Amino acid sequence: MSRTGKFSPVELASHAGDDAGTPRAGRRRVFLAGARRRVAVHLIERLLADPDVEAVLAVDRGACPPTLMGCDPERFVFAPADLSRRRQVDNLFLLDRFRGKPFDTVLHLAFQGNPHGYNFKSHEFNVNAAQHLLEASLRHGVTKYVFLSSDAVYKLGPRNDYKVREDAELNLDPSAHPILRDTLDAEFICRAKMDDPTCEVMVIRPSGVFGGGVISGINLLFESNPPVLPVGFDPMVNPTTKERLSRDLMLAISLHGKGVFNVAGATIGPLSRFFEERGIKPIRVPGPALKLANRLQRGLGMTRYHAAFHPKRLYYSLVLDDAKFERVFRANAEPVMGIERGGDEVE
Amino acid sequence: MRLLRSKRVPLDMLRPLLPDSEWERVRAYPVQDMGLGTDAFGTRRELLGFAYALGYWLHRSYFRVVSSGHEHIPSSGGGVVVGNHSGVLPFDGMMVGADVFRYTEPPRLVRYMVDYFVYQLPFVGAFFRGVGQMPGTRRNFDGLVEEGHLVGIFPEGAEALGKLSERAYELYPFTHGHVELAARHGVPVVPFGLVGAEEQQTMVRDLQPLARALRLPYFPITTTFPWLGPLGLLPRPSRYFIRYGAPLRIDPGALHSIDVRRREVERVRDAVAELIREAQATRRQYAGGSR
Repeated sequence: MSRTGKFSPVELASHAGDDAGTPRAGRRRVFLAGARRRVAVHLIERLLADPDVEAVLAVDRGACPPTLMGCDPERFVFAPADLSRRRQVDNLFLLDRFRGKPFDTVLHLAFQGNPHGYNFKSHEFNVNAAQHLLEASLRHGVTKYVFLSSDAVYKLGPRNDYKVREDAELNLDPSAHPILRDTLDAEFICRAKMDDPTCEVMVIRPSGVFGGGVISGINLLFESNPPVLPVGFDPMVNPTTKERLSRDLMLAISLHGKGVFNVAGATIGPLSRFFEERGIKPIRVPGPALKLANRLQRGLGMTRYHAAFHPKRLYYSLVLDDAKFERVFRANAEPVMGIERGGDEVE
Repeated sequence: MRLLRSKRVPLDMLRPLLPDSEWERVRAYPVQDMGLGTDAFGTRRELLGFAYALGYWLHRSYFRVVSSGHEHIPSSGGGVVVGNHSGVLPFDGMMVGADVFRYTEPPRLVRYMVDYFVYQLPFVGAFFRGVGQMPGTRRNFDGLVEEGHLVGIFPEGAEALGKLSERAYELYPFTHGHVELAARHGVPVVPFGLVGAEEQQTMVRDLQPLARALRLPYFPITTTFPWLGPLGLLPRPSRYFIRYGAPLRIDPGALHSIDVRRREVERVRDAVAELIREAQATRRQYAGGSR
C-alpha cells in the first residue's frame, strides 16, 4: 500500500477482498446464463455433482442442451429467456421455485462471441444482457456475480510482456472488432459495480479454451483443416481447457473473492508446439495473405476461425499471468474441491 | 534434410558444431521447461545451442575476442549488464552474450532488453525470443530479474547502432530505466566497455526519412551497404576487446529522487567510458605486442 493509504494500480489489481480465498457459507443456489455453451454444460454437470449446490437455474435462448435433459429436476431447472430484455431477466429472479430461496450466485456466460453472424442485435444482446443481469443480481441480493470475459481484451503487439497481468493495457482501439468492444463494455459495467459492499463482482479473463465443440479462437483454429498461420511468427500461448476452466469457475463460485482475474492453462509454449503435440500440420502463408487465405478457407467450409477478429493473435505472444487466481482460489481449493469431498483433485 | 523437415531440431544434431566442453555448457544451462520444451520466456535449448555455436565461432575465430574482468559477473542471482552499443548490426551484443556464456561458471545467459521493432520482423523476432532475448518492457525486466537472470541493457538505445563513424566511441546519453529497475530490485549493475565494434562497419550516413518509413531506428549507408546488397552488412573481422568492471550498487534513493537517479546514471556512464578507455589501452598494447 502506498504512503497515502491508497492502493497503487498494481496492488489494486491484486486486491481481492479481505476474506478472499475463504469458503462461502451455506449452500449455493446458482443462476447460470448462457447454458448452451460447452463450458456451461460441463460446469453444470460439476455443480450438480457437488452436494453443496442446492439448485441450478440454467438460462439461454432456445432449447435445453440434450446432455442436460437427464439432470435431477429437483436441483436443475432450464428456462429459455432473452436476457437482453430487462423484464424477462427480472422474471427469472421471481420464479416461484426460487422466490423463497433466492439465488446467491450468478454466472454470466451468455456472450455472443462468435464473429460469424455478428450483427447489431448481437451487440444489443451482449451489452444489454450484461447490464440487466448485473442490475437484477444486485437488486435481488445476489452475493456473487461472475462474468466470463476473454483474453482478447488485452492489447497485443511487439511490446507485450512475457506474462500479461490483469493490469496490462487493454485494447481500446476504436477500429477493434465490435465483439471486442462489447466485451470491454460488459467488463466496464461489471467494474463499475465492483465496490458494491453486498455483492462480490468478478470478471474472469480466460486464455484460449480447448475442448470439443468450444467456440473459442484457438479451438476453431485447431479444428481448421488445415490451420493457416503467418510465416515467420510463432507466438507463445498458454491455453486452458474447458475442464480446467469449469473447475476454475467452480472455485470462483465456492470461494470469496472479487475483482478481475486471469485464468489460463498450466502449459506455456509456442503455438507451433501445441500443433506438433496434437499431430496437426499447419500451413504457413505470408502475413499479408493471411486474411485472404482465411476468408477463402471459411468460404470453402475448411475453417470456422475468423482471422480478422483478433488479427495480431497469430503474430504476437499472449501468455496470461494467472498468479493472482492461483493465489486466491486454486491455492485454497482443498476445502471445497478436495478428494475427500468427492470433487476433483487439486492440480 | 532432417533439419529442414522438423521444427524441433534435436539437440544432438548441434553437437558437431561445438567442442565437447562448450557442448556440455549448453546442456548444463538450466531452461525451466513449462511443458513444451521452452521456459516462460520462450527460450528453446536447441535454438540457444545453435546461436551459441554461431556465437562461439564468431567469438573465437572471426572477432577473436579478448576479454577480461569476468570475475565481476555474478555467478548466481539477478544482475544488469550495461555497456556501449555500436556497429550497425548488434554483433557487440552477441559477442558479450557469447563471452559471458563461455567464461562464467555455471554458464550464464545475458538476456537483452531488445527494441520492439525486432519482434515485428518475421523469423527474427521468433529467433530472438527462442534464444532468450525479450522486448524491453518493465514487466519483462521484473520477470527476468525475479527469476535470477542476467539482463543486458544498452542504455544508449538502438539508435547508437547507427552512430556515424566520426562519432566513434562517443557515448550517447544513457536512458534511466536500468538504474531505476536495478535499484528497485536491489541487483548490481555490471558495466562493460567494448572496443572493436565501431571498426566492423564505417557508417557514413543515417537515412532517417527512409528509416521512419520502414519503422526502423536508423537506415545505414556505409562504405559497403547498400552498394554490395545484403552482403554489405556483413561486419569486417575487427578484433573485439571487452572489459567488465566492478559491479555497481545503485543508491535506492534513485527510486525517489530524479537528482539521485541522474547521478547514478552518470556514475554508470562514467564507468562504461572508463572501461572503454581501458579496453582501448589493451588494444594498443595488443597491437604493439603483435608488431
